[in-house]
Amino acid sequence: MPVITVREALRQALHEVMEDQSVFIIGEDIGHYGSTYGVTAGFLEQYGPDRIRDAPIAEAGIVGLAIGAAMVGMRPIAEIMSVNFSLLAFDQLFNHAAKIYSMFGGQMQVPMVLRTTNGWTQLSATHSQSFDSMFAYMPGLKVVAPATPYDMKGLLKASVADPDPVVFIEHTLMYTVKGEVPEEEYSVPIGRSNIVREGRHVTVVTYSRMVHLSLQAAEILAKEGIEVEIVDLRTLRPLDMSLSIESFKKTNRGVVVTEDWQSFGTSAEIAARLYEYGFDHLDAPIARVNFKEVPMPYSKNLELQTVVTVDRIVHAIRSVLK
Amino acid sequence: MQQPPHIALGLSPEQLLAVLGGMHRSRAVDDRLWQLSRQGKAHFVITAAGHEATQFGCALAINAGRDYVVPYYRDMALAMALGQSPLEILLHAMGRQGDPASGGRQMFGHFSSRSLRIVSGSSSVGSHVPHAVGLALAMRIRGEGNIAAATFFGEGATAEGAWHEAMTIAGIHQLPVVFVCENNYYAISVPQPREVPVEDVAAKAAGYGMPGVVVDGNDLFAVYAAARAALQRARNGDGPTLLECKTYRLRPHSNADDDRKYRSAAEVEQWRQRDPIPRLERYLLDRHLATDAEISAIRQAARDEVDEATRIADATPRPAVETIFDHLYGDQPA
Repeated sequence: MPVITVREALRQALHEVMEDQSVFIIGEDIGHYGSTYGVTAGFLEQYGPDRIRDAPIAEAGIVGLAIGAAMVGMRPIAEIMSVNFSLLAFDQLFNHAAKIYSMFGGQMQVPMVLRTTNGWTQLSATHSQSFDSMFAYMPGLKVVAPATPYDMKGLLKASVADPDPVVFIEHTLMYTVKGEVPEEEYSVPIGRSNIVREGRHVTVVTYSRMVHLSLQAAEILAKEGIEVEIVDLRTLRPLDMSLSIESFKKTNRGVVVTEDWQSFGTSAEIAARLYEYGFDHLDAPIARVNFKEVPMPYSKNLELQTVVTVDRIVHAIRSVLK
Repeated sequence: MQQPPHIALGLSPEQLLAVLGGMHRSRAVDDRLWQLSRQGKAHFVITAAGHEATQFGCALAINAGRDYVVPYYRDMALAMALGQSPLEILLHAMGRQGDPASGGRQMFGHFSSRSLRIVSGSSSVGSHVPHAVGLALAMRIRGEGNIAAATFFGEGATAEGAWHEAMTIAGIHQLPVVFVCENNYYAISVPQPREVPVEDVAAKAAGYGMPGVVVDGNDLFAVYAAARAALQRARNGDGPTLLECKTYRLRPHSNADDDRKYRSAAEVEQWRQRDPIPRLERYLLDRHLATDAEISAIRQAARDEVDEATRIADATPRPAVETIFDHLYGDQPA
């Protein structure tokens, strides 16, 4: 099976969905420039300016426009270069995209995808955030945050085909992550988690980039005979906890690893579900590994104190095994 | 015979030489930042190169430390023209202890100084512009209408909702604020025809009930004259102005950008010929306000100062880890 990067997997998915003439892409710097992270390089030349549209710096306008086009049967893919700028479009997402199907009594749907990217590396407070829990909070939105090239491609295809608005969350530190992607056509259903490593001593529930760090932590602990089971949620809404709870019932110990703030963040909901449905199987309090609760500092040393590291995951896993 | 512009504007030769020194310091810091970026010592670099006449011209008209300034990430030369030193800028860029802008918290290009009344912004384009309107409203409410607010942004920001809302409110209440658009023709890669629907951003002013003025942003004197008039209007209680300075950035948007993807070397070269720094030097030489030797000495002094500032900044530690939660919340009142 060919091994490709996340970037290439996303490009393949976009090329495949562009075969549907109702799909178009709009965003800042996505045309001539080929997008900030190179995902749409060459698309303008191939598909033309009607379907690959450079937008002015107007996030609310970009998302609002996508909603309007989606309501009349197009399948727009709106790109917000960095999730941090999506804040400017939240009214469009929350008060419009998420609710139109319901508020119109089912008469109109919004089959749009908002592609955006989390991430950090000395980009500081307003360039290093995660709003995963905010997106996932809103009924009517679907929220997808894959970790591997295979899932990126499969879930992006499913997102574009989906009848509802989907927030598709990428990660700046994952575009060069490699993995196997089959040549034949496939898609990955929204709302299904996946066990990425089997083990019997502890369950790690995670998603997106934290899957890779958790796998590294598991490798380290495997040398000591600690067998870590890792569940990749892949989708945050609808949230599929079935595999996580099944795993937790087996291991009786859980760690939730998410790259956002702990209070009211995604790990709060995930841990609450583990407690709720796994209460009788609990051998230790569930541990969580997240950002320290400060705006992300610019200075490298402070940033490294703030973010999730493999060491911190290893430490958390050990703590629930004591 | 027409007076030379600096005389017409009441600028002394000494002031012009000080401006030239400041521009050279700014450009020397800019040069240094790109080197530090390649050395891994400044993670993020964003340039002001090419915008110096716009920023110094406005700064000359701003009452530093009295008028409020709400800049954007392109305004390093402005921050320096208002009084920030090369060392302060480098501490900010390198995220070192004593960074006056943020204590090592903010990425480069987010300038701030309470004493200079430079207000910190976010990275979301245009989102700082309403703050300038609020500052101006506060001055109005407090009866300090003779203090103006000046805010800066690129032409790309004028597509943002926050910009439109700020302009609308400033126009309705005729607040003492000057909106300075540093139009460099590109929103990162997207050229003006695909980001602004009119040729002159200044034309947008009509819709907000304020005058719009266009100047050559690489002409220090034209910028100063227009900024001075706009600030005077604001301080006199005659309302806001949108001032568009047409300029060009001579380097990529940031060290994460490759500008060869969207503009030709010939275009950049054409604008290098209009670089505001040699332009001011030619002005000084042509009118015998400075000699070649004096100008060389100014340039060298700027470079030496930046070398020394780099040495000090590089020897300055990063902020202590124990301070990580500092300034998250204010102290509780007793």
